[in-house]
Formats: sequence, C-alpha cells, structure tokens
Amino acid sequence: MYQKVRLPRSVLRWLAAAALIAISSAAAARQPHYYRFGVLPLQSPTMLAGMFLPLTDALQQALHRPVQFVTAPNFAAFMRRVRRREYDIIYLNPLLYTRARRWGYHVIVKVAGEPFAGILVVRRDSPIRALGGETLPPGLRIGFPDPNAYAATIMTRQYMEARGIHVNRDLKVKYFGSQDSALMAVYYGMVNMAGTWMPSLRSMPQRVQQALRVIAQTPPQPQMPIAVRDDMPAREAGRIRNLLTHLTMTSSGRAVLRHLGFKRGFVVAHNNEYDGVKP
Amino acid sequence: MSVIEIVHKHASAEPRAPRLSFFRTLRFRLVLSVALVHAVLMGTFVWSAVDKQSEAIRADLYSRAHSLITLMAVASTNALLAEDLGSLAEVTARVKRQPDVTEGEIVDVRGDVLASTNLHQVGHRLLEPLVGATAQGRNRLRLHEQIRVAGQRIGTVLLDMSTRHLQAELTATRDEGLLFILLALVVGSIAAWVLSLLITRNLYTLMAAVHKIGGGNLGVRVDLHARDEVGLLGGAFNAMVESLQRISEQVRSEHEKRTDAERLACVGELSASIAHEIRNPLSAVINSVKLLDRSNLPVTDRAQAIAILNTESLRLQRILNDFLDFARIRESRLVEDDVCALIEEVAGLIRQHPQAASVRVEVQCDASRCRTRHDPDQLRQVIWNLMLNSVQAMPEGGELHVRATPAGRVVKFSFTDNGCGIPDSLLDKIVRPFVTGRKHGTGLGLSIAQRILMQHGTSLSIVSHVNVGTEVSFELGAA
Repeated sequence: MYQKVRLPRSVLRWLAAAALIAISSAAAARQPHYYRFGVLPLQSPTMLAGMFLPLTDALQQALHRPVQFVTAPNFAAFMRRVRRREYDIIYLNPLLYTRARRWGYHVIVKVAGEPFAGILVVRRDSPIRALGGETLPPGLRIGFPDPNAYAATIMTRQYMEARGIHVNRDLKVKYFGSQDSALMAVYYGMVNMAGTWMPSLRSMPQRVQQALRVIAQTPPQPQMPIAVRDDMPAREAGRIRNLLTHLTMTSSGRAVLRHLGFKRGFVVAHNNEYDGVKP
Repeated sequence: MSVIEIVHKHASAEPRAPRLSFFRTLRFRLVLSVALVHAVLMGTFVWSAVDKQSEAIRADLYSRAHSLITLMAVASTNALLAEDLGSLAEVTARVKRQPDVTEGEIVDVRGDVLASTNLHQVGHRLLEPLVGATAQGRNRLRLHEQIRVAGQRIGTVLLDMSTRHLQAELTATRDEGLLFILLALVVGSIAAWVLSLLITRNLYTLMAAVHKIGGGNLGVRVDLHARDEVGLLGGAFNAMVESLQRISEQVRSEHEKRTDAERLACVGELSASIAHEIRNPLSAVINSVKLLDRSNLPVTDRAQAIAILNTESLRLQRILNDFLDFARIRESRLVEDDVCALIEEVAGLIRQHPQAASVRVEVQCDASRCRTRHDPDQLRQVIWNLMLNSVQAMPEGGELHVRATPAGRVVKFSFTDNGCGIPDSLLDKIVRPFVTGRKHGTGLGLSIAQRILMQHGTSLSIVSHVNVGTEVSFELGAA
C-alpha cells in the first residue's frame, strides 16, 4: 500500500508558474520554430480552438512554419502572457489591445463589417423587455465573461450606467470566465441577464440562440484587432496581413471565416484607430 | 474354500507365481495411462483457462490504460489549449494516483512538456516525436494519445503504466494453473490406482490359481464376486479346471490300465526272454546228462560231456545272478559326493579285468567341479557296467575314454570306445533286458544301468556306429 500524496492547489499553481517561466525561457533560448497565436479566452478553449484552428492552419501554409493556437485560462492570465510577450500573434478586444500596444504589439488587421458592440441578452421567456432603472426587478442577477471583456463587460456596464443602472449596487454580478459560459448561465437560469457580444451569441447552438433574446446593444467601437509582436519580420507580418485580408476571395478562405464566424473577413487596421478606446 | 486359503495351504508345495517388475504390471500401466490422460486433459483445460484468464488480466490492464489516457486527453484538452498549467498539473497528479501509473505527461503540439508526474520533466521539450502508438517494454506499458480539436493535433498525452502487478498476477495465475495440474495428476493417479486395484485384484487371484494348476493342483477354484467380464472369466476358468480335472482323472485311469497292460506284456516278454536264455544251456545240460548215462561212452566223450555240463551250468548261474541283480535293484539313497573318485576307482578295477588287457582306459574328471547327488553304490554299478560293455566291445583292444564334465547345472558323463559298435537294428532296444549284440552276453548290463539312472531322474543316451565305436552318456544334477 502506498500513501496518496496530494499537493496543495497553491503549490501546484506555483509549480505551474515556475514551469511556464522555464518553458518560456527555454523557448526563447531556441530558434522559434512555432509562431504562437494567442487568442483572448472569450469562449471555452475548445470552442475557440474550433474557430481558430482552421485559421492557424491557413497561416502555417502561408508562412511555411508551424503556428500554434493557444488561449489562456482567463483574461488576466492572457494579458500577463501578452505582457511577457509569449505570443507572436494576438487576437483580443480593443481595450486590451490598447494595453498590448505598450508591450510591443501592433495591429495589422481588424474584423470587418459588423460593428463592435456589446449586447445584453435575457431568456426569451423573461419578463425583462428593455433597460430602465425603475423597470428592473430587485435582486436581478447579471453575468459577464470577465471583468476585462471589453464589449461584453465594459461596454455593456458603461451602457447600463449611462441609463441610471448602478450595476454593482442594483444587480448581483457574477463572472463566468468566458462568453459562452455567461450565455449558458442565462440559458440555464443561473442569471437573469448576461453581457456578451454578437459573434459569441451566433456561435452558440441553435436551441440556445432561439431561447435567448437581445434586449440592448451598446454603441459601436473599433472592431476586434489582430496584432503582431514588433520583433516579427515585416515581411512575415505582411504575409499574415495579406492572407487575412484576402480570405473572402477564396473558397478555402471563406471556409476559414465560416469557422471564425466573421463572414466579411478582415480589413487592414492601424494603431491610431484604437486611440479613442478608453476603459 | 477361498482361493486365498488355497494359496496358503499349498504355498510351500506349489510353484510361486513369477515376480513381475512393478513397471511391467498391468496395474502400473493402467495407472500411468489414466494419470497421463488425466494430466493431459486437465493440463489442457487448466492451461486454456489460465491463458484466457491471463488474456483477460492483460486486456483489463490495456483497457484501463486506454480508458485512463482517453480520460486524461479529454480532461486536459481545454487546459492544454489555455496552457492552464495548474489544471494540467492537477490532471497529471490525479492520474499519478491511479494504480500502476508510473508516469503521465501532457505535451503541447511543439513537444514541450506542460505537465508531468515527474516535475523535472516540465518545461523540457521531448526529443523523440510522439506518435499515437502503444509500446510495451520491460515491465512497462507506454501509451500515447493525440489530443485533437477540429481534426488538428494540439498536443499529446503520454502515459506509462507499470506491468509489474500484471506480471505478478500472471505469474500467480500460471502458478495456480500448475498447482491445479499437479493436483489433477495426484488425484488422477490415486483414482487410477483405486481403479486398477479393482480391476487387477481378480486378475491376480486368477493368476495365482493358474500357477497352482501349473503345479498340478487341479482342485483350485476361484471365488470371484465380480459381475463384470472378469467375473465371467472366473466362472469360465472354474468350468475349465473342472473339465481339466475330469479329463486328467480319465487320463490317469487310462494310463494305469495301459501301464498294467504294459507291465503284463513286459512280464510275458521277460519270461519268454528268460526261457529263451536258459533253454539252450539247459538243453546242453540235459543232453550231457543223457550222454553220461550211457555205459559205453568213451572216456574222451565223457570228459567233453562233463566240460559242457560245467560250462552251461555256470552260464545258467550267471544268467540267474544277473537277472536277480536286475530284479532286486533297491530304491536310490541320494547323497552329494565326488564322482571323480568313483570313476577312478572303477577304472582301476576295469584295468585289471582279464578282457581289458589290451584296452587303454583314460579318465578325464575335475574333482573340484564334479560333485553330484547320487547313490554311490548304484552309480558304481552303472559305471562298471558301462565300462565293461565298452571293454567287451573291443576284444582286439582299443581305447576307452571316460569323461565327467560340468555343464551348467548338470555333470555330463560319457563313455566312448572305438569298438565294434551296435547295429542300428539293436540300437533302439539295446537297453531292454536280454537284448545284446554279443554272443555270450546276458543283455542285462545296460538294462540295469538304465533302471538305476531312471531312479536318479535321468537316462542313457547312446550313439553308435558299427566298426567305429560307441558313446554312451548320461547326466546327473550338480550338487
């Protein structure tokens, strides 16, 4: 018989962080064979992988080098890795991009077409029809993906504050880590309302979409950017930009976009477009 | 009377059954056959069961390993995508707690170890490419499972499981199997032994009875209670012995009748022979007496008649003495003694016989090896008669070789001369009384020798060629 040894979770996390540092330093020491494509954990990792893996596959073929899709357990972890410049390419929200710029990333494209706006959704059978401080029942529960989710959390909170709803005072706030978790929380009645954005709603199963209703949409902001680290050769960055902006022109590119849920693809973007984005 | 009682009663008088080597007995062969068949069958069945059980144990480990690595892959997919090292470490820590797991690793698509049960491995890049395959080394089972999302590999899960417990279980299962086979062999042997006892017990009874019959005891019966083939054989055996006894009694009766008839015939023949032998000298005596009764008989004729009277009366006396010797042969009194001294003694006497003046008598005998059971007086008579016959067969002289030669469990005696030989017409009846090839012989010397030797359990053997010689021989049991 042997005694089972359980490591405390804190020790595991400490070890994990140490391991990550070791991995990063080891990776930095070697010739980078892989480009690491970091995606903000807007949804569950598997769902994000389903969306972005066809894109990374297309990037591999264009760059003739492997591209690794990665995300993070949460927004904070993602941004810590961005700060440590662990990713070569990043996809994140406009607000977080303004912080990423400070750590050496610059935008090359943004999602085309659909305005970047947050939405508030309730169950279709919910009595809540519109937003107004006096109309909301007391003790209402609202779910967000992450405190740093720009459209889903920050923009929707700003939208509600502008309408006299003091979110922290009038509502019970709960964070679920990802967009689809917040949407599933509404679907299952764990919260009465959720802040999210349209691409996430469209990526949900049909029955979930049909069971939910959008009751408000925030004013638009610059779309979700894709940025590259400043040490990436300009020619490679150009190839990536070229690939992304021409996805709509080929059937394989359109297939990639279908997985992403961005029907109109990407357009070229510049840093100054995000100058006005403020928390 | 039971057979066992019969065996005890006649044990000392009748020949014992020959002792068989145990390995040649029917019982041993039956035990061996049944035990072997039992062992082979049980061995086959047990080994098959052990094989299946071993396969099941092996399959269980493989199944458990595959289930575990699949669960590991599923559990680590999201954390791997998110590079959530804490969650991955939790997965490997939980996996490590599973029985037989020696190592578990989660590797990303680049080959970097993100989590491992061996903390020193975390952060290193694997040098060997990981492919989804199962490999088995010494006491370990190594499995790889690719983690795929949307058809693309995002990482690999590696699981090392120890097969020591498996090997121990397999060994224990094999040992149990061998134990079962051994047990089956022992049980089978015991069962076969009991079975063979039941079967061969009656055969041994029959065999003992057969040996008693071989010893001449036809009163033997077997008492078998078996209702099987052996029981039937016992019944048939008893019927056969009864029939044999009846026939034997009939044969004995017929033999006695025939013996009586032969004896009467022999008496008649003997009487005729005696009458024939004494008729001629008696006629000569009667005629000589008639001549002497004449008053005018010349002196020369009278003297001749008296000479004839003396000669023929002496001949009559010799005939009657020999006949009395033949008729009064007593029972033999056997003792162990050296025959060489006896032969030399008789040879010494025969050399002094008037008829042996020109005969060279040679004796060959090894005194240390020629001791027999015999009646010394009677054997002396036999040797004398045979030597005298040989001497009388060589009136012109010759050689007589007397030999006593040990030959296995007997001593062979031979008397060889180079005399006139015996005609073929007389050879087969030369030992009968009053049969002789010599003009003045009584024909009783060989008859007396033959009778004495028959009392010693042997007989004369004669080989003769006319004008070449004769060899007379016999054997006596060595002491």
